[in-house]
Amino acid sequence: MKKVTLSILTLALCSATFAQKLDRSIKPKPGPAPEIKLGKTESFTLANGLQVFVVENHKLPTIECNIEFAVKPALEGDHAGYQDMLSELLLSGTTTRSKDKLNEEIDEMGARINVGAKGMSGGGLKKYTQKIFDLMADIATNAVIKQDELDKIKSKTISGLETEKNQPDAMVRNVSAVVNFGTNHPFGEVPTEETLKKITLSDCNDYYHTYFRPNVAYMAIVGDITVAEAKPLIEKYFGKWAKKDVPVSAYTIPQVKATKVAFAARTAAVQSVVSVTYPVDLMPGTPDVIKARVANTVLGGGSQGRLFLDLREKHAWTYGAYSSLRPDELGGSFSATVKCRNAVSDSAVGAILSEMKAMQTDRVDADALQNSITYLSGNFAIGLEDPNTVAQYAINIERYHMPKNYYQNYLKDLSAVTAEDVMAMSVKYIRPDMANIVVAGSKEDVAEKLAKYSADGKVAYYDYAGKPIAATTAMAAPAGKTADDVFKKYIAAMGGEKAINGIQDIKITGTSTIQGMGITITEIKKAPGKYKQSVDVNQGGQSMTVQKQVFDGTKGYQEQQGQKAPIAGDDLDEITQEADIASDLHGDKYGVKRSLKGMEAVNGSNAYVVDVVNAKGKKSVEYYDAASGLLVKKIQGEGDKLQTSEYSDYREIPGTNGYKVPYKVTESGAQMPVITETVTAVDVNKGIPDTEFN
Amino acid sequence: MKRKAFKGMLLGASLLTVGVGQAKADIKFTEYDMPNGLHVILQEDHSTPIVAVSVMYHVGSKNEDPQRTGFAHFFEHLLFEGSDNIKRGEYMKNIQAAGGQLNANTTQDRTFYYEVLPSNQLELALWMESERMAHAKIDTVGVETQRKVVKEEKKQRYDNTPYGQLINVIYENAYTTYPYRWSPIGKEQYIDQATLSEFMNFYRTFYVPNNAVLVISGDLNIAQTKDLITKYYGEIPKGTKAIPRPTEVEPVQKAEKRVNFYDNIQLPAVILAYHIPKQGTADYYAVQLLTQLLSQGKSSRFQKEIVDKQQKAVEAESFDLGNEEPGLAIMLGIANMGTTPDELEKAMLGEIEKVKTAGVSEEEYKKLENQAETDFISQNEKDLGVATNLATYYTFQHNANLINTELEKYKKVTKEDIKRVAIKYLTKDNRLVVDYLPKADKDKAAKHTEVKK
Repeated sequence: MKKVTLSILTLALCSATFAQKLDRSIKPKPGPAPEIKLGKTESFTLANGLQVFVVENHKLPTIECNIEFAVKPALEGDHAGYQDMLSELLLSGTTTRSKDKLNEEIDEMGARINVGAKGMSGGGLKKYTQKIFDLMADIATNAVIKQDELDKIKSKTISGLETEKNQPDAMVRNVSAVVNFGTNHPFGEVPTEETLKKITLSDCNDYYHTYFRPNVAYMAIVGDITVAEAKPLIEKYFGKWAKKDVPVSAYTIPQVKATKVAFAARTAAVQSVVSVTYPVDLMPGTPDVIKARVANTVLGGGSQGRLFLDLREKHAWTYGAYSSLRPDELGGSFSATVKCRNAVSDSAVGAILSEMKAMQTDRVDADALQNSITYLSGNFAIGLEDPNTVAQYAINIERYHMPKNYYQNYLKDLSAVTAEDVMAMSVKYIRPDMANIVVAGSKEDVAEKLAKYSADGKVAYYDYAGKPIAATTAMAAPAGKTADDVFKKYIAAMGGEKAINGIQDIKITGTSTIQGMGITITEIKKAPGKYKQSVDVNQGGQSMTVQKQVFDGTKGYQEQQGQKAPIAGDDLDEITQEADIASDLHGDKYGVKRSLKGMEAVNGSNAYVVDVVNAKGKKSVEYYDAASGLLVKKIQGEGDKLQTSEYSDYREIPGTNGYKVPYKVTESGAQMPVITETVTAVDVNKGIPDTEFN
Repeated sequence: MKRKAFKGMLLGASLLTVGVGQAKADIKFTEYDMPNGLHVILQEDHSTPIVAVSVMYHVGSKNEDPQRTGFAHFFEHLLFEGSDNIKRGEYMKNIQAAGGQLNANTTQDRTFYYEVLPSNQLELALWMESERMAHAKIDTVGVETQRKVVKEEKKQRYDNTPYGQLINVIYENAYTTYPYRWSPIGKEQYIDQATLSEFMNFYRTFYVPNNAVLVISGDLNIAQTKDLITKYYGEIPKGTKAIPRPTEVEPVQKAEKRVNFYDNIQLPAVILAYHIPKQGTADYYAVQLLTQLLSQGKSSRFQKEIVDKQQKAVEAESFDLGNEEPGLAIMLGIANMGTTPDELEKAMLGEIEKVKTAGVSEEEYKKLENQAETDFISQNEKDLGVATNLATYYTFQHNANLINTELEKYKKVTKEDIKRVAIKYLTKDNRLVVDYLPKADKDKAAKHTEVKK
């Protein structure tokens, strides 16, 4: 009995000592900082000027090879976008390997090879080292770019662009690029459909043959390989790569002298994407970089930053608020970014600017400074796990003429940063007084509220690609003018009642592209009230109907992707009106009521803005050009279903007493890509058979 | 662009962490059980002065009550709320201030928490992870906060993402009985219905040392680390409740299933999902090579034929989610403009048929073996990768050493095996076909029914 008690007691004691030993409420202190060893880098230079850096890392039996071109290429100008396309184009074959063969040879090894305008990379198992070098060298020296591949990638890129047109992150990125760097700097060049269409084979070939040269290239080889193994292989495969003088372009950056607001209006936006941004003159490896990085971390680095603590933790305006300060040889930049709902967008911009200002005046406290330094030290250590980081460091030292021991001393220099340094860097690089406030969001709910942050009290408007657009400020219509006057002028401009009533049937054929594919849109109408629209995809010389709407005057159907459904409800009302060739003259029949709202500029010309309501209470807005009287724009639907149509290039149809048709129609909406239709043929009164509408 | 976003979605929806196979040939590790049942695996690697600290709990959505789907994933969120000694919101702050990174994820089979940080902060991570196991903060404030966060996550990642419902739709329809018939995100109303006592009960049942593996990989000293583990985990009591595992058996599918699903998308997608054998079996590895044959690399059958040559699809993939119990081989194509789902389905089935009749060439077979080897080796490049793989092999197959040996199982697969498993598993009766269609089509169909009434 006694024995048992004793053992229970011992147990109790044991756990008591344990409990004493561990007070779980105490957060453990870190151990002494570990020593960070950077892998050793060896280097050599080939006769053709190729500089090679080898970092041995025998952890895994793999190798990795990266090539970086230190070039300042010519501006792309109105052909912007070809450099981005090289990543696919340069993998479409060489003088001795077809595209299929190249792909097969890469996959055969389970390897990967990537290319871009400013570099190449490849990697795989050590046993394939030779083959990887062989293929990379072949691509670097013998790539063949074919017209059909260019056409394929062009149309793919153009359709990819469509999805960007209403995407807020892309809008902010594009507008920031333009306002920060301007058109005389590569960072300010934004590809658009127009520039992409102008790209030629020689743009791509010229770039490749000019800038893919060994004398401007840095190569890093990392992995299970020694310099003794690497050197003869590199000589063998890259030694024949011919050197050539590479031209160096000069760029200029516009000076941001005062804070401005740049706004990109986004259809049906419920949230704003905000970036307070500007270019900075900060070269990689200069003494300011480390200190400025700490200052940026105090302001907006992760969940400890002042921006995060204020905008998210204190105000709950956003899920996250961060800043970045990026050194770059061609042009560094600062940005503080946040995504927030419409109602608080204005306050969020104000808060970012105040936090930026406070960096110049409020000394960082010891804890926040230490946390920022520890955070950056940890990131540095974690980054070293990727051997490519070490190779990149070796290249940086050479390329930017940095001190040889820059990265060895990085942590020491980081921990030496003081509160005074942070303030000095803030005064120099964190500039709420010389910033571009770039916002993509709701024009109605947000834009003008931001005017107060602009030095000139104005908001500048841009399209999705960063092209400035005139503010469409509303004006009052001239006194006495009514919607009726505007509409009468429109009917007259369309050719008058007689011309409109003279149309018995009409067929309009147009072309467009969606996601890179050519489509044909055919619309036919026949009095009284028959309608048909079909969309055909043209591919590889073949044409195929993908979408069709048919209405015989009383009933109709819609067919899409092989699925057929009857037209009913509101859609039926809509198509009945659409099918009426002279529906403009039958406003009473459809219960259409118009009222003149005011005037606004549409594409640079004044237009009357007319609110329209139909019998079902559905609203739309029509814009009639003040000079020509013609309908130039129409907005219908709400929220997600909002759709904008723009009409231009009106032409008179021969043999109709002056009836007009817009030859260019652009449709855009929240949930659709922008589609521009160009009319190619209009046939009137040719006697369309009724069977068309079955 | 499209491709990248889509892959990201797949990862998000399924939280797939283990792919085809992994491990360099020689990863040395130490493993042992603590008296409270916690399994520990330590892997020492001093190449970088950092450590990855991770805990894998053997609980996922398949352990949920069918009336409480989404519970396991919700719980993962809840366990960032704090503990008796860590204040609300401090998990993230502590790790960041230590220069580290952290996150967690939940699949149908397990829940995984990890931190990567400089090696001198190892004790901090052990303190925080052990707090999570010992006495996490489970209270109404935390539950309410996370209810909102999880609903936002669901909106953002599943409801509002193109093809975001893909995994849900596939698993819901492919299974009739086994609790893979729902996916980790679950139904939000169930989380609203759950009471605090249910959360406590779930915690005491599954978040116990005897249902977890602690894996630490990186710059560590084994002896010192063992002492620290005893210090922080030794006093956590073993769970006293029985740990329930699903006992349902999925009946063999006897006939093809076809489903139409409508979502906010522009291009229709076609999915073929075939039931496949359990992870670790010989046929499982053959099926893995078969999916590689179909879609890994630009020279793969789907990529070369359907995407590049015929341009019928903008994307065509073939994969599985690495389930613990018998899962699915999923083939997915997103139709190009002008291609109907039917045509795309025919093209995909055509490629599958070619494997069944003509098999695999010697060159292709070599390619598949090489790809498997490269993947196997490069997935252990980083400490976190090693930790994840060790934890997964141990949890699902009770054999952490597969990290060194699993490649042999791929090597054993012959090219005849690949043809054979295609014939055996990729059959009509064994598949689910989902036509994932633009919502616009459904709205029209709905209007039609309205009128008929």
